[in-house]
Amino acid sequence: MGILSILLLLPLFACLLILAIPSSYRNSYKYIALGFAFLQFLVSGYLYWQFDGSQTGINSVSGYQFVEQLPWLRLDLGSLGQLEIDYFIGIDGISMPLILLSTIVMLMAIGASWNISKSLKGYFALMMLLSTAIIGIFVALDFFLFYIFYEVMLLPLYFLIGIWGGARREYAAIKFFIYTLFGSVFMLLVMVGLYFSVINPDTGAHTFNMLHMMNPANYVDGSFFATAANSFDVFGIPARMVGFIILFIAFAIKIPIVPLHTWLPDAHVEAPTPVSIILAGILLKIGGYGIIRICYSVFPDAAVQANWWIGLIGVVSIIYGALNALAQKDLKRMIAYSSVSHMGFVTLGIASMTVEGISGAMFQMVSHGFLSAALFFMVGVIYDRVHDRYIYNFRGLATLMPKFTAYLAIAFFASLGLPGFSAFIGEAFVIIGTFNAELVGTGISRWMALAGSIGILLSAVYFLWTLQRMFFGQTRLKGGEEWAVALTDLSKREQLILFPTIALSLLLGIMPSLVFDQMNAAVVNLVALVSTHL
Amino acid sequence: MDFLTNISPISCSLLVVLLPFLAFLYQAIVGRKARSGNVSLVAISLSAILSIYLFWNQSPIESNIEWFRIGDKRFFLGILLNNTTLLMQALVSIVALPVHIYSKAYMKGDSGIHRYWMYLSLFCFAMLGLVVSSNLLQLYIFWELVGFASYLLIGFWFTKESAAQANKKAFIINRIGDLGFLIGLAIVYAQFGTFNIVELFAVNGLAENWFSQVNSLSGTWLTVAGCAFFLGAMAKSAQFPLHVWLPDAMEGPTSVSSLIHAATMVAAGVFLLATVFPLLNETVLLIIAIIGTTTALLAAFFALTQNDIKKILAFSTISQLGFMVVGIGIGAWDAALFHLTTHAFFKCLLFLAAGAVIHEMAHFKHETNLDFDPQDINFMGGLKNYMPKTALLMGIASLALAGFPLTSGFLSKDALVISTFEWAVAKGGLYYAFPIILIAVSLMTSFYIGRLILKTFFGDFAFAKNLKAAKIHEASKTMIYPMAFLALFCLFIVFSWNPISYHLSWVLKEFNLTYTFEEIHSLHILIPVILTVGSLLMWWIGYQLYIQKKQQVKQNALFRFSFNQGYLNEFYAKTIIKPTLLLANFSYWFDRTIIDGLVDLLSKITVALSNLFAWVDKYIVDGIVNAFGSIAYGTGNLLRWVQNGRLQSYLGFAFTMVLLGLIYLIVI
Repeated sequence: MGILSILLLLPLFACLLILAIPSSYRNSYKYIALGFAFLQFLVSGYLYWQFDGSQTGINSVSGYQFVEQLPWLRLDLGSLGQLEIDYFIGIDGISMPLILLSTIVMLMAIGASWNISKSLKGYFALMMLLSTAIIGIFVALDFFLFYIFYEVMLLPLYFLIGIWGGARREYAAIKFFIYTLFGSVFMLLVMVGLYFSVINPDTGAHTFNMLHMMNPANYVDGSFFATAANSFDVFGIPARMVGFIILFIAFAIKIPIVPLHTWLPDAHVEAPTPVSIILAGILLKIGGYGIIRICYSVFPDAAVQANWWIGLIGVVSIIYGALNALAQKDLKRMIAYSSVSHMGFVTLGIASMTVEGISGAMFQMVSHGFLSAALFFMVGVIYDRVHDRYIYNFRGLATLMPKFTAYLAIAFFASLGLPGFSAFIGEAFVIIGTFNAELVGTGISRWMALAGSIGILLSAVYFLWTLQRMFFGQTRLKGGEEWAVALTDLSKREQLILFPTIALSLLLGIMPSLVFDQMNAAVVNLVALVSTHL
Repeated sequence: MDFLTNISPISCSLLVVLLPFLAFLYQAIVGRKARSGNVSLVAISLSAILSIYLFWNQSPIESNIEWFRIGDKRFFLGILLNNTTLLMQALVSIVALPVHIYSKAYMKGDSGIHRYWMYLSLFCFAMLGLVVSSNLLQLYIFWELVGFASYLLIGFWFTKESAAQANKKAFIINRIGDLGFLIGLAIVYAQFGTFNIVELFAVNGLAENWFSQVNSLSGTWLTVAGCAFFLGAMAKSAQFPLHVWLPDAMEGPTSVSSLIHAATMVAAGVFLLATVFPLLNETVLLIIAIIGTTTALLAAFFALTQNDIKKILAFSTISQLGFMVVGIGIGAWDAALFHLTTHAFFKCLLFLAAGAVIHEMAHFKHETNLDFDPQDINFMGGLKNYMPKTALLMGIASLALAGFPLTSGFLSKDALVISTFEWAVAKGGLYYAFPIILIAVSLMTSFYIGRLILKTFFGDFAFAKNLKAAKIHEASKTMIYPMAFLALFCLFIVFSWNPISYHLSWVLKEFNLTYTFEEIHSLHILIPVILTVGSLLMWWIGYQLYIQKKQQVKQNALFRFSFNQGYLNEFYAKTIIKPTLLLANFSYWFDRTIIDGLVDLLSKITVALSNLFAWVDKYIVDGIVNAFGSIAYGTGNLLRWVQNGRLQSYLGFAFTMVLLGLIYLIVI
């Protein structure tokens, strides 16, 4: 068993272990979860250590590392040929940073779950199952395997929100579930379509192997998604474009893009803090990852044509999300909308199809992973203490909670793109890449860079306004003395969780090469893959 | 100084930048216990010494290390030492040093003083890093960091609502400028593929050869790039219409205002423009000149009627920055930097002196329990009797600000005004408006600073009768000495042996810039004479108005316009802030009602459809099935009635069946 499989199966084992241990030992669950999450973090750290950044990844097996390929399902389908599904996993420069991010955020989420008291067994078992699914998504190179993990991920999330969430948890959970399912059901169709269009050149059988799907030579002439002389269309839209659009929508719901984002504020607001952390820190990145790994790599020809629109969607998400964040009076909802805005940079950066833009988008994903996790955690800190997070109910918190305010101010400034922190590198290079795109001819207009930068301005407005309203001025709380007593400063455990995220954001802001060196070769390869269709 | 000769100038300069950073780290880690500020003071002292040493001994040099790569593009961090950066580095650290010493007395006893030193050191680090950056990306990073430090210091007393509002405003307006800068970076990167300042802006560098690039962007983008960088400079250097943050920034401690919002950070915009000068084309330069002149005029006009001593100085700073920006606009960026240098000293001194006055007034207020604003010059007066040294030092700085002969301000302001005049002569026509306005602004400058000095130090003290309850003292030595040190730099001798001719000043000689316009000798006599005589006249008028009180100042519309700072804040509140919030609220309404409404509608439709199908299933599909069932049951029921055990019935049934059979046979 390879190291990737270990990474993948560790939390699954933990899940089974938790299920097996009787409830009378329920206090041990969180330690088991924490222990395994930490182990997983160590393994991913080892992967990062061993990772060779010069490998190109993307569309050739030889460019991937830690590859494991085992035949999984082989079924003779008679005239349809042989069904070929592999346990095929491996990582490249695109997935490596996200895997490390996932394990860190997972660790943080377990740490944030310390005070959960409702049915612990189910909670931690589901968390561990979720962890497996997430890693699975990032390592799967077989579309079928990817799809399984993608669907498995939904199940724990649905229950985690629906059972451990806030007042409107059931509404939020079902909304989240149906939104995502809506995307993935159509993804299934495209996946099957691709299966019948692609042939494994080695065996001659149809295949779910994503890397084979990226090679135009593997497509059967006359098949639905054939690359050459494809005359299929759906409602007048060429087949390959349809495939691209469907996959894009499936992943874009996850990012999320405007107007497919309305699950996010509800899910974030109703979810318990640890799940908010996972949602913002990891789940949204699956969208960006899917677009890079599948949409753009499998359908580069369609991507090139749709580029302008995707860039537009990115810009709209940035500005629309920021405006909505500005209008919020609930702190958690404000941060949820700011996520929409910040993830808009990811869409825009990917659409720019320049090395700078895609690198910026990837960097933004990693950076947003840490920062939004930290922000949601901090909302949880306030909510834990007084069960309220309405901005106008607080004032002058800085006097009561100086440490907390310092952390929050740093996280706010880091999120609004203060240089020295990671978000700056991500956003600045998305803007620079987008501006550059017109010279390369990827179809993105220069005004998008200008419009995107307005989002940077607005993020300063809503973050600073919140800081001023909630934390500065004379202390005045809705709950009066009672709240003032309840609002204690950060505990050791809370600091232990927060400090690493802020520190990581700072570290990446100062040494961006920690991420860039891992993915440069892959990004260059991706751009080369797409730009052959320009 | 032996050990210094052994280390390279680059590492020396690096040390200048990093020492305040180490002090910052020390303050951040030790926190509440580090209240003395000695570490910060030692750090900045060493920085000052090193930077002065560098300043005397250096020829241009550059050093870079690779920071990161994106694809095959490499990005660097580095230090560039040339005339401009060495001048700026020395200037910043020399001004920062007395401010640190002054702060020890001024901030004594403040409960958050450990934060104060931390922020101050952070600022010094960022500012020193900014001026020696060897590439634009790095410059941008420090550019934002100084803004961040400024945010922290403006909001130092964060429990004050006004301070919390002011720092937000400062940061957001600066953000607008930052976006300009960022767009500028994107354009430069798209065009040249590098951020290196020397490669871009050296003589015959890339920027001068815009059109000879492969894949060149059009000339419009050259203009846009220039405007974008200027937007950055406008926000940082408080140029109209983005100047509104600076008067509010006075909410910070006065020592902070003196260093950041008068001497160094606000001048960064001018520094940036001087750096990217080769990129600025004719159109952009003209825009710069226009904005600079407007700013100089409006700010001086607003300064005429303000009552808050710090606000007057803030507007004065804006106005003087306008002068420097005009200098850039006419191509005399060396004169702009010269004025930047002299201005840094005298304006810093003005603020420190004002701080000393405010300190005493606040103390007086506290002792007497009177209710008045200790920053309002209407409540001062006659203070020269109690604070003679402060009065003298502030007087020297005021003379320098007014550009009086024998001061440094005389040299640099003349350099700007005369060059502008010569530029206008070369251009002709409407261009004459620029120097004429500048001359008018110079006279206004003399007037408002004269008013400030007269109302503060001359005449009678407003609370003379309360003096028994509390005394007003001279500022402590820890405050006076730094001020005296700065006063030294307000004299001509530091900048030129010749008190009359600015051409001989070493700052301008060092840059050795050739102007595009002719020198006109007669102006070099005429303009100084006009300005000097005009200033004297202004002070005489001020004396008549404020000391002799021969005439009341009429509060007409023009006065109110000036007093209310041109109603700009109200204008912005109505035209920008309110619509933005409305738009935000509309977006949220749209999001909830339309987008989410659609989603909910879709789910409702789905539920309704399901209900419909359930109904169909229950009453139609199931109905038919049930109908068959009922029919079978009914028939069976009918037949069951026959099977009742009576012979007659069976026979009757059999007979009926036979009969039916017979009928059937017959009929068919």
